[in-house]
Amino acid sequence: MRILVAEDDEETAGFVQRGLGEIGHNVVVAATGEDALHLGLTETFDLIVLDRMLPGFDGLTVLKRLRAADVTTPALMLTALGRIEDRVAGLDTGADDYLVKPFAFSELAARVRAVSRRTAPREAETRFAAGPIEMDLLSREVRRDGRPITLQPKEFRLLEELMRHAGEFVTRTMLLERVWDFHFDPQTKIVETHISRLRSKLNEGGLEDPIETVRGVGYRIRKT
Amino acid sequence: MKVVLESAAYRIAFASSLAFALATLVTGTAVYYAAHVAFARQLDASIEQASVGIVAELHDEGVAGVVRAVREREAHGPHAVAYAVFDPQGNKVAGALDTPMPPLGWHQISFVDPVEGPDPARAKTVLLPDGYRMVVAADLEPIEQIDATILAIFGVAFVALLLVTLAGAVVLGAYLRRRLRRIEATAGAIADGNLTERVAIGPRGDEFDRVAASLNAMLDRISGLVGNLRQVTSDLAHDLRTPLMKLRHHLEAMQARAEGEAMPGMIEDAVERADEVLRLFDAILRISELEEGSLRGHFGPVDLGALVEDLWESHRPLAEDAGRPFEVSVGPGHLVVGDRELIAQALINLIENALRHTPEGTPILLGVRRLDGRVMAYVADRGPGIPADARQRVLERFVRLESSRSSPGHGLGLSLVAAVAHAHGATLRLADNEPGLDVAIVFPEVAP
Repeated sequence: MRILVAEDDEETAGFVQRGLGEIGHNVVVAATGEDALHLGLTETFDLIVLDRMLPGFDGLTVLKRLRAADVTTPALMLTALGRIEDRVAGLDTGADDYLVKPFAFSELAARVRAVSRRTAPREAETRFAAGPIEMDLLSREVRRDGRPITLQPKEFRLLEELMRHAGEFVTRTMLLERVWDFHFDPQTKIVETHISRLRSKLNEGGLEDPIETVRGVGYRIRKT
Repeated sequence: MKVVLESAAYRIAFASSLAFALATLVTGTAVYYAAHVAFARQLDASIEQASVGIVAELHDEGVAGVVRAVREREAHGPHAVAYAVFDPQGNKVAGALDTPMPPLGWHQISFVDPVEGPDPARAKTVLLPDGYRMVVAADLEPIEQIDATILAIFGVAFVALLLVTLAGAVVLGAYLRRRLRRIEATAGAIADGNLTERVAIGPRGDEFDRVAASLNAMLDRISGLVGNLRQVTSDLAHDLRTPLMKLRHHLEAMQARAEGEAMPGMIEDAVERADEVLRLFDAILRISELEEGSLRGHFGPVDLGALVEDLWESHRPLAEDAGRPFEVSVGPGHLVVGDRELIAQALINLIENALRHTPEGTPILLGVRRLDGRVMAYVADRGPGIPADARQRVLERFVRLESSRSSPGHGLGLSLVAAVAHAHGATLRLADNEPGLDVAIVFPEVAP
């Protein structure tokens, strides 16, 4: 993918550029709001990563102007301080997702993948299957190898998020946002605990674990 | 009445009206006595004149002349004064004045008025030759009438004046209170953390306006300093976060390269330590943002009951793993105004504290209830609790009681809860659960 990164801090920009480059993306860096706007308006990108605070126009202004000029490229906003106000003000400026600095690179990578996937319009899926696991959102049924499994509501939502992104990593922060609607780190082990409950229900009777955990990255349910 | 007594404005207004009334009373009394004395002197003068006039007859005709003169005057003259002549035995020999013989000199006597009966009078008794005495007396009634008239006029005037000054005092007191209350309301809002509030300054430029202006100048200065302090805190946390974040990035990059060697575990630990410090800065920044009080504009209705239910469901497995029975008590329809995530964060901190600072097996209750029209969310445990004298202290930043030093945490958890409560206009209440700790966020009453 071709990604525009608007970030004024050279070191952070370099780190993002190297990191995304290593996983096969082509990254263009803009150090000011004006540059970012100019590049965004004149060139084509698959994704724009925008720092909220930029010299010249700030990230929000750049995004507003791009959206006003009908540039629909998905955008990922980086908020420098993670201020509560930034969150409560909402994502109504047209950012597709946002990430609070400081972030782990794995978190950025997971979000970049998720945001870029969102561009392809998908029909609202209600049934998922990954390997031995099937899930029906309408009848709220979960089966492993055809055997029904009863899940608590939060466990069901967790599994749904994993199934929606089967084969990809879903980070702890993403799960907190999507399952609990928490845009802060509660600093408790709620995600870990619920994953472990979900696992023990899915694997009852010593079956093979379909959920993979990579420390510092997140969780992934095997696609096959 | 209590309001009036407690108000300095009313006290001053009433005191000045009282002083004015006293001054009027003193003036009135002086006027009354001056008039009384003047009239009394006038009366004495006319008695003296009549007495001297008659005694003058003495040179020519002796006592008989006096008796004749008395009769003559009584027959013709005006009846402003009355006469009586007594022989040495005290028998009246002439004159219409009906009174027993008084001693010599000036006296107040009582005589019998043919119309009105006994009456007081001013009298002068002089010694005539051969032991005879003559009394010249004037009725005191005209003076009494004048006194009564003056008293009546003055009394009415005084009552009217008292009413006018009292009304003036009430108006003045109310005016002073109104002007002061504006300043008071602003100061109260400032104390509640709304540093943007200012006192309205009137167009007259009077002393209240000048006080308001200097108060505003002081507030500008304070909010400038507070702003600086916040800026410094934020800058510091931010400036420290940036290099720390870069350090973390480097560690991550190292980790990616060191795959499969013995290094990753150590690097992971280092990343974990960096994250701990970053979380600490995060908490500091959140608390200072909450203290700014600027979030209120974004608040909306939050179903506290649903939130508590959700938090209970989410934390039940954690409590189970930690071996503490975890119950919930929620009734429907507990709406508060606020931010769902902030309240969630505060309650999670309280749940986490209860799990962390109690022995295994301690029951913990999470709930919402209504008390005196106020909605509160609470976390109550049956653990060791916090001694009463330490309850205020644990709300301060970085304070950790000796008994909890061994458990993890940075001592900002309760400060953050207090800041969230404050931002919602709620109070954080720490109480004895007998035994254990009962922490409640008591929200302000919501207008229906």
